[in-house]
This record gives sequence, structure tokens and C-alpha cells, in this order.
Amino acid sequence: MKKISRLLTFGLMGCFLFNSCSNDDDITDDNTPDPQGDYSDGVIVLNEGSFGDDNSSISYISHDYSTIEPDIFFSVNDESLGDTGQSITFDDEFAYIVMNVSNIIQIVDRYTFELVGSIESGLQSPRYAVIENGKMYVTNQNSSTDPDDDFIAIINLETLEVEKTIESTPLEYIQEEDGLIYVQNAAFGNGNEISVIDSNSDEIINTIETNEELNSFEIEDGILYALSVSSLEKIDLTSGDVIEEIEIETGDASDASNLRLEDDMIYYTVGSSVYVMNENAEEAPEEALFSYSSDSRWGAMYAFEVEDDRIFIGDAGEFSANGFVQVYNLSGELLEEFETGIGPNSVYVQD
Amino acid sequence: MKFIQFYFFVVFFCSSFWINAQSDSITVLDEVLLTDTRLKGFSTGQNIQTLVDTTLQKNGALLTDALNFNTPVYFKENGLGMVSSPSFRGTSASQTAVLWNGININSQFNGQIDFNTINTGGYDNISVRGGGGSVVYGSGAIGGSIHLNTHLGFEDKTRNTVFLQYGSYNTLDARYKLKTSGEKWSLSLALARNSSDNDYELPGERGKNQNGNFYNTGLDLGLAYRLDSKNILKLYAEIFDGERHFSLIRSSETRTKYQDFNSRNLLEWQNKSGKFTSTTRLAYLDENYRYYDNIENDDYSLGNAKSFIAKYDLAVELEENLELGTVLTNTYTDGEGSGLAGETRNIFSAAVLMKHRPWEKLQYELGFRKEATNSYESPFLYSLSGSYDFSEVYTLKFNASKNFRIPTYNDLYWNDAGNPDLRPEFSRQFEISQDLSFNNFSASLTGYFIDIEDMIRWLPASSGNWEPINEDEVHSYGAEVFLNYGLKLRKHHFKLNGTYAYTVSEDAETGNQLIYVPFHKATGSFDYSFKNWSANWQGLFTGEVFTRSDNNSRYNLEKYWVNNFSVAYQFKKWFKLGGRLRNLFDKEYMSVENRWMPGRNYSIFLNLNF
Repeated sequence: MKKISRLLTFGLMGCFLFNSCSNDDDITDDNTPDPQGDYSDGVIVLNEGSFGDDNSSISYISHDYSTIEPDIFFSVNDESLGDTGQSITFDDEFAYIVMNVSNIIQIVDRYTFELVGSIESGLQSPRYAVIENGKMYVTNQNSSTDPDDDFIAIINLETLEVEKTIESTPLEYIQEEDGLIYVQNAAFGNGNEISVIDSNSDEIINTIETNEELNSFEIEDGILYALSVSSLEKIDLTSGDVIEEIEIETGDASDASNLRLEDDMIYYTVGSSVYVMNENAEEAPEEALFSYSSDSRWGAMYAFEVEDDRIFIGDAGEFSANGFVQVYNLSGELLEEFETGIGPNSVYVQD
Repeated sequence: MKFIQFYFFVVFFCSSFWINAQSDSITVLDEVLLTDTRLKGFSTGQNIQTLVDTTLQKNGALLTDALNFNTPVYFKENGLGMVSSPSFRGTSASQTAVLWNGININSQFNGQIDFNTINTGGYDNISVRGGGGSVVYGSGAIGGSIHLNTHLGFEDKTRNTVFLQYGSYNTLDARYKLKTSGEKWSLSLALARNSSDNDYELPGERGKNQNGNFYNTGLDLGLAYRLDSKNILKLYAEIFDGERHFSLIRSSETRTKYQDFNSRNLLEWQNKSGKFTSTTRLAYLDENYRYYDNIENDDYSLGNAKSFIAKYDLAVELEENLELGTVLTNTYTDGEGSGLAGETRNIFSAAVLMKHRPWEKLQYELGFRKEATNSYESPFLYSLSGSYDFSEVYTLKFNASKNFRIPTYNDLYWNDAGNPDLRPEFSRQFEISQDLSFNNFSASLTGYFIDIEDMIRWLPASSGNWEPINEDEVHSYGAEVFLNYGLKLRKHHFKLNGTYAYTVSEDAETGNQLIYVPFHKATGSFDYSFKNWSANWQGLFTGEVFTRSDNNSRYNLEKYWVNNFSVAYQFKKWFKLGGRLRNLFDKEYMSVENRWMPGRNYSIFLNLNF
């Protein structure tokens, strides 16, 4: 009994101390009407979990690395996130978490991660999403035995219903630029096209051809950057001309992957190495910016992001235990390393 | 070249036996004829636990349930009736061999048997043999082997048995058996049907188990004909047809289903001439599966493997206490499927066995086996066993053996990924047992150690595809305990059975316990009968398991105790009616992450004998 009361006193004191501290902080910092929520800034890591086990999770890392939370969706909502989280798409208020095996998009408040709704019908093996014109465009890979049945689901964000589908195969990444939706018709080393959808008519209005085995793409200032297995193409979106084609030496071991544009620089990865070059560069760099050592050949560089002068990489190990995320500065120096959930596949920086 | 030399050596070796065999006198065959004579005859240093059909009727129709509640074998089951794989003495699913009347039936595709694709109603008894057995039973007999047996006797009697059970979730378990025989012939027919909506309530607010319905039908036929006092012909045939929808964790998931269609045929000729017993077997196994990754579509992936097996087994009793034997087997398989181009492979193997009882109390066995095939390099296997009866009460036994698991079709030939350079996994293992038995009590304690090397693991290769390589090494060690006790006090009958397994199974590189291998597993059953009443209690304890290879305990699955209880009344000699409660205390539990098992459920059953 004594022990308990002592604990209680201690706990109460802690509460007061903690509260007063945070109040102080609020007073001094409370000039900006920043969005409220435990996760309004920091780094969000999506962990896909092991396929079929419904154990996907979201890790949170604060910007100063002092706070790491392993499974914020569960701790906030007291239910599990779902099976094989593939990607997260954000708008001003919400985060839309695409669950590949569950065929669900979980919608949470992007700052608190409180579950506010979900899209549970009309999806089949959903992968990536973008939002434009009050609609969400989601790529769906559908049946794994049929490579020709992929489709884009167009969801009305008011009703959360799929209003239209567009068949287009194969499908992977999707991006929005100037009211147009760009969809990568290439997945798992197969495909060489990008389809363009007008978000007013929701029709495919153009198809851009790239090199074979297209991996990922980015758009900036009217130029499409398309990364294929061993080349980077720059395509003028107005004329459709290929402005530049850069060969990338990858060796036998791996393919070029994970194209990112950030602050006029081009980043990509080969195996467990990160490469960087200027947007105007005419040749690919020979030396990697940095490499890290991974025991995992399949889950190496499973997540990759460049944001806020930091480079994030995720490693999934053998998918049978928790993976990790490493943070580097732009010179390629390791700053921090964190344990995540199983299979960290994407990193998002809240600001 | 090596292959040819080896072949000649073996043919020569066995033909010399055969020539000798012709000159011997005639003896009468045993009345009771197990197809798998080697099971009893060549297991000196090891324990065999046999479940007869009255025991099998106390559990669900599927093999998982029967073994889970009665043996030390641990099962990882994706929800009731769904995919189920065993871990026997801490080994992997493909390191338990399953034999149907002495023929190895592990899948050609993945080397495993899904224990929920076997309906126990088709067999007369199921034996569980712990420890290595590859010398006699071939690939996969590392953790142990499971033997599905049909009994053919010449009792000159006819007996019909009907077992009907119906219960919660619209679950039907129907088993019919006909045994009829004359002095020269014997017929055994078994028909088993099991179906269920399987829509049990999940714990919490999760609603019902969805898309978990299944059905299966098994037909087993056995026929024996005694040609003369020396020769018997036997035919065994089995057809299994099953379909399972795979249950969902969330209702939005894509609904899938899986179909199995397997047929097995075995023709056997046994000749006993004096000191020589020869058994020639021809078997044809046809294995089929179809997987529908979306039940809304008609698209499916499939696999089909046809195996032709010829087996020649010769035993000679040189002296009353010395027996020699040789087993020659040729297995030809033609397999194809989604992701597999049509491939054939041929495996020839020869085993030499010796059993000697120099003194009444001491018995030992020796066995060697070598395979010849173009598909992979096969190791030389051996087995050495002994037992010594210190007294009528106490026996000490041991076995040391080298066993293997051969690469499967998927391992060798999977499109762009199969690795034709794979070697078989192999194990070196040792076990020692003490058996104690007096009055109505028997107990057995076994300690074992297994070192498994060259374990095949699928890893991503340079091409970006996954590729299997011989990489892992696992050390398993542990103990098994068996207890049996029976007591009869006037009209009161008591029977008590228990098993306990302590299992450590470690990745040799990291030292971590393998995932889904519990340190502790125990089973217990208690039977009581008085006059026409009988009652049965069963308990299953499964300890905590790791689900993460780094042994992060945050994600462990909790231990669980599950209890079943049944009562029955014998109205007439031929008619018995009873009721059963499963998961008596409504325990919420799962054996695979997020795959809940049913809570308390009920059934009534009817037994007819005529």
C-alpha cells in the first residue's frame, strides 16, 4: 500500500512537472498557428510488415531524433494498420495510407494520426496514390497471375467511393503536375511508358515512351526525368523530345533505382550505394556519394528519400525481423540510425 | 560413370540375395500385415507412438488436429483448417516425412505436406516416429516421420463402422469404414468427408472468420489376396479431393481459394520363402493443386506432379537373431506447373539394413543408404541403433543417424530462379531414450541433438530474383516425455496419456531460437468409462513462440491452454451417441500472427458398429 501511494505521488508530480514545462514551451513558441498534433513535424516511416500477417506499422522519429515511436497508428487508434502498407499520400489535412494486401486506404489526420475514415471497396492490390481536383488517383496491380489487368481507381474524396476506373498496364508510381496525372506503366523491371491523364476529363491524353525497364520518374520545370535500369532520360514535356540521355554503369549486381530530385540535384541508388549529380550534368558520377553495408540483398535500400538536407535510407533485412532507417547529411555522412518495424519501405518528412 | 558403377554394385548385391532366396523352405505368413513392415522391424532405437481410429475420432478430421492434441509435434496453423505446417523436434516443415502405407508422399513442389490436406478418417492407424529415418523413408525424415497406415487382415469377418459428427459452424465430419475378409482375401474401404462453413466468431470486435469455408472428401481402398501360402498381392488406392477458401484478416482483402486433388496407388507383392521375405512395390502418385488468387476470376496457378515408384525390399533371416535387408527404390517424377517448365527427374536409391540380437537383452541395427541421381549430389546416409533391456521394467535405447531432405522441384527448377546446383539438406543426429514400464504404467524419456546443415534458403540473387542456396545451419536439441497409465477398478476404467516436448532450435549463426518453435509443448488426455458411460478430456499447452527472427519478444505469440471435453453413452452394442465441447474455456488464441482460432464450440456425434 505504501509503495503504491508513493508511486501515485511520484506520478502526479511528474504530470504537473511535465505539464508546466510544456506550457512554458507553448508560451514562448506560441506565435505561429502551427498544426496541432503529436506528429505534426518529424519523420514518418512506413513499414510494410510481412506479407499476409497484417503487421504493417508506422514509425515516428522527431526531427531532433530524441523521440522514436515504433507503431503510432496502433498507439493512437488501438487497432492494427493492416497488411502490407505500400505508400502514404498527404494533403493539407490528411494522410492516406495505401494498404496493398488489405485493399484498404486508411485515412488519418496527418498531424495526430487519428483514424478518420477508410476506403475499403473498389481497390485491388493498390500501390500509390495522388490527389488532384478533389479526387484521388490510385494505381492498382490487381491479380498477380494476370499481368494485364492493372487499373487506376479514381476516388471522390467527398464520398470516398471509386467513381471511375481506367485500365492501364502495368502500373506503379503516380504523380501530379499542373493538373495532369502521370502514371508509370512499368513495374518490377517490365515496361517503358508513362501515361498522362487529364484530371478534368479523367482520360488518358498522352503516352510518353521511355527506355526499357523503367524504374521511377520525377517531373520538374516542364522536364520529365525517367530512370531506367541503366540510363536516365530527360524528356521535354512540351515537345516530347528527349533532351538528354545519360548512361549509368551499374555493374551486374543491381539496377539503378529510386530517382529523386531535390534542390537542383538528382539522386538515385544502385544496390546499397547512393549517387548524386547536378540537374545539368551530362554524365553520371562514377563514385557513389556513400554506400552502406547491408546483410540483405533483397531488402537493401528498401526505402530512399532526400528531404530537408538529409538523405534517408531504409533496410528491410530478411523481412523476418525489424528493419532500420539511417539518416545521412548531403555529404554522405551518417548522422543517426533507428530501428523501425518490419520492411521499412518509405520515408516522409513532415514540416 | 560413378552412377553406373554404383548401380552395378547394387544390382549385383541384391541379385546374389535373390538367388539364395530361391532355395529355401516355406513358412506361413503372419496374420497381421502392416504394409510398412519396416516401421516395426527397423526402429530399434526410436519411439513410435500410434494413434488408432478410436483416438482419431476424438479430434477433428484433419491430421493437424489429431496430431496437435496427441503428440509432441507442434503445428503452425493459419486459422482452423487453413495451411498447416509441422515443426517436429524444432525442424522445418519439409523436415518431417509423411508416408502413406510406406510410400513417401511429401510434395514434389515444396517438400512438405500441408497437414490440413489429410483426412484421418481414411486410415486405420497413424504412427508418429520421432527422429531420423532417411535410410528407410527417404527425404525429409529428419525431425521424424508420420505414417498413415491401412490395415488388411484375414480374420474372416465383416465389420462396418460409421462415425458421424455435426457441430458448430455447420461442420460435418463423416467417416465410414468397411472391413471384410475371408481366409484368402481382405477388403478395406474407407470414405471420409469433412466440411465446414468455418465462420467462427473472432475475439474482440473483429466479427466472424470470413472466407474460411472448406470441404474435403477422401476415399481409401485396400485389397489383399493370398495367392498361396507364400505369396500375397495387395492393392492400395486413395483419392483426396479438397477445396479451401483461405480466410481473411480483413473483409476487404482479396478472397482466394486453393484446391487439392491427389490420387495415390500402390500395388504390392509379398513373397515369403523360408528365411526370405521379398516385397515388390509399384506406386503411382498424382499430385495436383490449383490456387485461385481471386475467387471472382477463373484464373489460377497450378502444379501437377506424377511420380512412379518402384521399390524392392528383401529381408533375410540369416539366423534366428540376425536379419539382413536391402531396399532398392527408383522414383521417376514428371512435374510441371505455373513457374515451372515440365521437368522430369529420376532418383535411384539403395539401402542396406542389418538387425542383430546377439543376446536376449541386446539388440542393434545398422543401415546405409545412397542415392544416385543426375539432379543433385546426394550424401551417404547411415543409421545406427541399439537397445538394451536392463530388466523387464527398464530399457535403454539410442540412435545415431545421418539424414537428408532433397531439393524440391521449386528449389531446382523455378523459372529463372531455381538453382540446379543445390545439394540436399542433411542432418547428423543422435538420440537416447529410456523406457520404463510396469503394471499399467509406461513412461519414456528421450533426449536428442540434431545438427542440420546446408539448409536451403531462398535469397535474392544478383539478378534481383530470389534464388535458393544451401546456406543455413540449425542446431536443435531437446527432450520428449511420454506417459501412459491405465487402471481398471471394477466397472470403472481410467486411462491417462501425456506428452511433453522441450525444444531448442537455434540458427547456428545468430544463436536465436527459430521463429514458430515453442520451447514447451504438452498434451494430455484422460478417459473414464463406467458401464455404458464414457468421458474424455483433452488438453493442449503450447508455449510462447517468437515471430521475429531477431527474437524481439515484443511480437511474441502468447502461450495457450486449450481443453476439449466429451461424453458419450452406449445405447446398444452397435450404437453410441455423444456430445463434445471444444475449447471448453473459450480461450482466445492463435498459432500464427493475427490468425485467430475458434472459441468454444459444440458438436454431437454418433457411432455405429455393425
